[in-house]
Order: sequence, then C-alpha cells, then structure tokens
Amino acid sequence: MMSTIDVSSRLTRGERALTAATSLTRRDFLISTAAIGGGMAIGIAWPSAVKAAPSNDPAVAPTEVSPWLVIHPDDTVLLRSPLPESGNGSMTMAALLITKELRSDWRKTRVECISLNRDVRSNHVYGAVKGDVFSFAGRSTKDTLMRLLQQVGASARERLKVAAAERWNVPVSEVEARNGLIEHARTGRSLRYGELAADAAKVKLDKEPDIEPLEDAALGNIARGKIVDAQIVNGNAIYGIDAQAPGMIYGALMQSPVHGGKLKHYDFEAIRNMPGVLGIVVIDPSEPRKRLDLPLQGIESWAQSAVVVVAEHYWQARKALEALPIEWDDGPGAQWKSTAQLDQALLEALEHEGEKIVKDEGDALGALAASERIIEATYRTPYADQAPLEPLNAMALVTDDRVEVWHSGSISAQSFIVAAEEAEVPFEKVHLHQCLVGGNFGRRNFGDDLRIVVAVAKKFPGRPVKVIWSREEMMRQGRYRWHTAGKLRAALGDDGMPRALQARICQTGYGVAGLDNVAYTNGLIPNVRIETREIPIHILWGSYRAPGYNSYAFFVESFIDECAAAANMDPLEYRLKLLEKHADPGWIKCLREVAARAGWGKKLPPGQGQGIAISNWGNWGSNDPQAGTTAAVVAHVEVSRSGELRVLQLDIAFDCGRVLNRDAVVAQMEGGMLFGLNMSLNEELNIANGRIVEGNFDQYPMLRLADTPRLNVHFGGLTGHARYSEIGEPPVGPVGPAVANAIFRATGKRIRSMPFRKHDLRWT
Amino acid sequence: MKIDLRVNGKAQTVDVDPSTPLLWVLRDHLGMTGTKFGCGIAHCGACTVHVNGSATRSCVVPVEAVAGADITTIEGLSPDSQHPLQRAWLELNVPQCGYCQAGMLMAAAALLERFPSPTDEQIDAHITNICRCGTYQRVRAAIHRAAAMKKAAAARTA
Ligand code: FES
Ligand code: FES
Repeated sequence: MMSTIDVSSRLTRGERALTAATSLTRRDFLISTAAIGGGMAIGIAWPSAVKAAPSNDPAVAPTEVSPWLVIHPDDTVLLRSPLPESGNGSMTMAALLITKELRSDWRKTRVECISLNRDVRSNHVYGAVKGDVFSFAGRSTKDTLMRLLQQVGASARERLKVAAAERWNVPVSEVEARNGLIEHARTGRSLRYGELAADAAKVKLDKEPDIEPLEDAALGNIARGKIVDAQIVNGNAIYGIDAQAPGMIYGALMQSPVHGGKLKHYDFEAIRNMPGVLGIVVIDPSEPRKRLDLPLQGIESWAQSAVVVVAEHYWQARKALEALPIEWDDGPGAQWKSTAQLDQALLEALEHEGEKIVKDEGDALGALAASERIIEATYRTPYADQAPLEPLNAMALVTDDRVEVWHSGSISAQSFIVAAEEAEVPFEKVHLHQCLVGGNFGRRNFGDDLRIVVAVAKKFPGRPVKVIWSREEMMRQGRYRWHTAGKLRAALGDDGMPRALQARICQTGYGVAGLDNVAYTNGLIPNVRIETREIPIHILWGSYRAPGYNSYAFFVESFIDECAAAANMDPLEYRLKLLEKHADPGWIKCLREVAARAGWGKKLPPGQGQGIAISNWGNWGSNDPQAGTTAAVVAHVEVSRSGELRVLQLDIAFDCGRVLNRDAVVAQMEGGMLFGLNMSLNEELNIANGRIVEGNFDQYPMLRLADTPRLNVHFGGLTGHARYSEIGEPPVGPVGPAVANAIFRATGKRIRSMPFRKHDLRWT
Repeated sequence: MKIDLRVNGKAQTVDVDPSTPLLWVLRDHLGMTGTKFGCGIAHCGACTVHVNGSATRSCVVPVEAVAGADITTIEGLSPDSQHPLQRAWLELNVPQCGYCQAGMLMAAAALLERFPSPTDEQIDAHITNICRCGTYQRVRAAIHRAAAMKKAAAARTA
C-alpha cells in the first residue's frame, strides 16, 4: 500500500543558497511511503520532478517514487546513495546524513547506489539522470543534496514515532527515537524500528518534520571509516574490473597512439588461430552517433579510433593484441615531434599579448611601465596523468533492445547516458551496475572506456564483454592535466608590496582557477591584468584533481615568494601583510595556524628549509569572499649537497567553513597532499612524434611509503563560516609551491617548473 | 595444459596456457577478484599474493612456475576477516579507494611473519606498493598497530 503524504512546492534559487540548517521547510520535497514485505520504504522526490509530474497520470503519480530508504522487519536499514564511492567517502557521507536524522543503528545499515533505471522509469524521482542530484564526481556536501538526504531520514523517523505512539496510545511528544529504537521513557517501553516499519508506512503526517541543524563534526561520531572498508580488507569489494557474469568474454584494446589518428590497416589472419580468439572489433569514431545530453559533453567522452581483440580469456586477448600487425595513420598530431617543441611554442607565445584578457583591473600595464622595481618569472607545468590504480575497464551486455553495463565511473549519470547513447536504446532499457571506483582524480568522469566497451559488446549480442585497458594503454590515452606556461610580472612599491601584477598564460587546456579567483587578484593588488592564450593541440585533456589550480597555485605562490625575497621580507610576513585587508579571515587564520604548528622560522641545519604557500579552490564567484576552501601548507625539506631532495614534513591548515566528519577530512587532506607532492616532484608525460612516451610506473614514478613525509593536518584554520566546501582538491595546490619555496630557502635555487626531480639541486 | 594449484588451502586444477600470469589465472579462471591488476610489470604491488609464504607480485609469475606451490590470496588471509592487520586497517580507517589495499595487506602480512615488530626502516624497505590515494602514513601506523595486537595476543596465550 502506498500513500502520498505531501506535495511540495519548488525551491527557488535563493532558497537553495541558504544553508541546510536554516532553510528547509516541510514543503521542499515530495514524500511518499510504502509498506513492503512487512517493512517500510520511504521515497522523497526532488522538486523538479514534482514540477514535471502531471499528478493525475497514474504512470507518473507520486506513488511511483522509488525508495531512498527501506526498513526491514529485522531492523536492517537499506539506504540508497546517489553518489558512488571512489575513496573520498561520499557514499558513506550520504548514508550518514540520512542516519543522523533517522537515528537508526549504524551497524544495521546497508548502502547501495540508487537505480538510474528506476529514476528514468519513475519520472526522474531521484533527479539523477536529469535534474539536481547530479553531483560532480562525488561531491557529497552540496547543500541541496545534503538537505534532501537529511529530510529522508527525518520524515521516516517521524513516522516511526507516530506509529509507536499510536500503538502505546500515548502522545507522540512523549516518545523518542534513539539508535534504532522508539522509546517511551515514562513507562520504560521500547520498540525496534523493524517492528514499527509496516505501521509507520501507513502514517500520514500533517506536517513533515524540520531537519536539525548539524553540529560541528556531527557525523564522525556515528561511524568511523567508510561503509565499504570491511569488504575492502577481505577482498570482497567489487570494482568495475571485478564484475562477473555468466558467459563473459574479454577484450584488450589499442587506440591510435597519436590522439586523433586513424586505423589504417590490421591483419586479423595473423591472430585468427591463436588460442581463445573470438574476433576483432574496430572502433570508428567517425561513424555517426546520436548525441544525447551528457553531464560532461565533448570529445573527452568520445572514443578514439581503436582495435579491440576479443577472446575467451583476458590474457589470450592481450597476447593476440600484441601479435596483431596494426598500422596507424597518425594524422596532424604527429607534427608535435617532442616536448621541447611544444615548450618552445608556448614560451614563444608568452612574448605576445594573450588572445583573451581574463581580468584587467586598474592599470597594470601602466604601473609596470612606470615602475623601477620589476620582478619577472616564467613557470611551466607538463602534461600529467591522473593514474588511478584501477585501470580503465567496463563490462557490457547488449541484447536486442537492452544494454546492461558494469562500470566504475565516478558520475553514474555519465555512465548511464553514455551506455544509452552508444547502444542506441532508450533510457528505460539501460541498466547500470555502479561499481566501486578504484581511484578517480578526474579520470573516471568521462565514460570514454564504457563507450568503447558498449560498442564492442554490440558485436557480441547476448554475451557480457569485459574490456580491460593495460596500464600502458590507459596512460597513453589519457585526459590529462594540460601543459602550461606562464609569465608573471610584478611592480613592487617602496614598501616592497606588489602594486601591479601581470600574468600571461599559455596552455593546451583552458581556465585559470587558482590565478584569477584568489585573494591577491581580487582587490588586494590594486592593478591586475591576466591574459590567456590557448594552443590547442591533438592531445586530449580533462579534469585532473583540481584542474587549473594544480598549476596556477604553483605559479602564483612561487611568484609571491619571489616578490617577498626581492622585498627582503619573511615569506609568511609578506603574505600576512598582503592579506591584511582581505575580507575573508580564513586566509590569515590558515597562515597563522600552519605557521605556528609547523614551527615556522625555527632554526634549521644547513641544507634544510621551510617553505610556505596558500591558495583557495572553489571560490568561483567574487561576490562572496568567503567561499571554497582555503589551504595553507608549510613544507620542510632537506637537500643534500649532491642535490638529493627529501621532503621531511608537510603541515596543512585549511578553511572549508565547517567540518562534519573530521577523520574523513584528515584522510582527504593527507591523500591530497601526497597527490600534490607526487605531481610536483615526479609527474611528467613527454611527447615523441605526437605520441605520449610514458606508459607505466617504471617511467612515471610514484611516491612510495619510504618517500612519505610526516603529514600533519590542523583544524585551527577553520572559520566556522556556514559552508561545507570541498576538501579533495584544495590540498593539491599549495604543496608544490611550498616545497619549491623550501628548496629555495635550503639551497638558494628557484624551481620554476615541474617535475622537481629534473632539476639540479646541488649546492655548496 | 592442466596445472595443479593450491590456493588458500584448496586444491585447484586449471587448464590454461602455462605462461599465463598467476594474477589472471586467479582473477579470470578461478573468479577470485580480490587480487588486483594495477600495472602488470611488478611495479605497483596491487597483485601481491603469498607463494609459500613470500609476498609475490603475481602479474609477472607464469602459472607454471607455481604449480604445486602454496598460494594465499587476500580471500585467504584469514577465515573471518580478523587478521590483526585487517582489524588494524579498519580501526585506523586506512583505505581510501581501496584498490591497492589487498596488495598492501598481503605485503604487510608477509612482513609481519618475518619481523613481528618491524621498525619504520623495515616497513619502508618491504612495503613498496603504490597507493595513488596516498594512504601511506596510515598503512605504516596500522602495521605497527597490528604488530602490537599480535604481541598482546601472544602474551595472553603464553
Ligand atoms: S599489477 Fe602486479 S605489481 Fe602491479
Ligand atoms: S587506497 Fe586508492 S590506491 Fe590505495
């Protein structure tokens, strides 16, 4: 039996901007409950779905809302998360938000991903395929999403309370919900949620309950760790690469080594009789395809020209692919003969005015022309690969009118729509098994792997086909952090502080996050001019943990350090002085906290040094100075006379506003710092005749345990401002410049390009 | 070719090309997916299993080389997920994406067999697996924690 409880009005944009604690009204969501199998299911619909629903049509009536939450008679609570788990804890976070309001027993909680197929068949009740629940690559603290999940929990809890009060014949105000029980303190009675669920499903409320404001660190008290960790430690966790289905066969692939090239010739006869070989599928990206509306549109999600060898077992497919004679037409990309050639093109372009003036405040050029104290430096960052440890892969089963896929994509809606697009079936016929994500860092946002696999599976109807990228194939067919060069110039005033800043950027990607949206360039330096030029080349680029920022935080914070040195000032004091008038107190708070904790300025032996850097990820609008997450890092390094670098310690202080789960934040900060460190010290992809040279970890080095510095995460930078901003990306930015600035203090050498391992750091 | 294996104490016979890496025999022929593929060139350690008690990167070991050997995978590390390392891993919230963790745990388990109370230097020298998520600091702490748990348990039974 199902009943509709409340039909909501819609949230306005202004309402959405309010915080979770203050703005939720009972009219925000459409809520429905259903008794199933002796338990209760509760559904909650996103307002946009309500708007779209002609409520009299039985096919789309609110009773079709599919459940977010099911309480079974044995007290098991099944929660459905709109976010996959990629290691950042977002799936657990979704479950915790519901559990906090539901006051259920965490030990009896199970979590699975929402069904996107249900979403499209039930008028987008989850708002996941089309709508507002889409959350970029697993961000779990989006305000509207948080409120929805909290309301799910609150509305279910209130029904359980009413059901218990009715059974005991006491006023509902006398009963309390606690850890999976409804209790009546006066008479000492209690009932389990499982005992009440069926009745609760029939309860009609006059008013949906309000959600409670979240206290600081409120969720970390419910559970430590992620809900999938228990399966991770015994090998039962299922990533995309682990999916199995009866009758499955395997594919190994090679795409055009020069991006954008074409398959010219291959000789199937050479491998036809190899053991297990079933056939070859050619992927031709120029075949016309119907394009649907994807969360991430564009070439990053398309296939490259490719051959896929299909065999009974994976190793057979790999061996046959290696033996397959293939010829490629490299296309125009081959004109880029070397990294040096690209570097030179970028550096030459820096000599000319940018094609876009991103920012022009005051009169930077005039101030620079008139100044006698000019600081100038040019910085570079190379192509880099996200290199999550799970290689790209997917499995697909295509039958006449239906496609079923298993995928560890980081955006379920992207996977779902890519499958529909490539299989050319309507959404109702698409079934996605969202698997655990074995690392993302931006690489798994596009679904380019799934697209190829669906295309292959179409040629083997009725058989599940799993295609696994070799590490080499994955690294050479990336969606990289782009290659960037930037020339920064500043005019210093008599007090040594910058009066004017001109930044000219030339890059093979786009955007200047970490340069145009940080404190210095938004009011602190009076004259600012930022110019950009894009040199589009054939190499595909995409999101790499904190796109743009991962280069520009390095440029800006290294440069500010150079200005401080020129002004003969302590780098911390210099930044504090520059930030004196900044409207966001978080910057200064983070700097002071990290400096105090790291013992900034302490006496160090020769060859050691500390460096400091600060930046902000996520403050995209300049209207509100308090936005995004600010992160400040102090690096402590040691450089031997022979030039061997050891990073001894990294301290970080940050301001994301508030924190809900401290240990989850610490984990992201630790991981983010190491990601930023590896990026800065080690990562570089080179070009030879249009191809990417590096293919595996022997050529693309990764930090190991022995290289790991002591990592300290400090909470004293938090301002308590009403926001829960991202924490995965922010630590990536300031680590590199803090290390480079520390190297300068240890050796007197300025490092102006990544990777640092290529620099000669010897000193005497 | 038919090859006899002993995996987690159980006798198994597989019919494969003898040059197939043990990793793919485990994953693809025996359906045991706990052992992961990360690089295929013995660099990342995601595929670490025990062969006669030694931590071994199974992506570069042809299956014919381990015929008759005793192989332990993450699925066989403990019967009940209660190995001190597994408990310490959960206590200290070590995993992020988790993809490297089976290999880490198997490498750490072999280390603890050899050095029941490993020093930081011994951990550095023996745990050379890649974790792209950056869980190293917690891996180190959890190995120390598991060593302490094992010691305490041994003291109780002594
Ligand atoms: S997969 Fe074997 S070491 Fe990486
Ligand atoms: S936890 Fe993700 S690679 Fe180690």
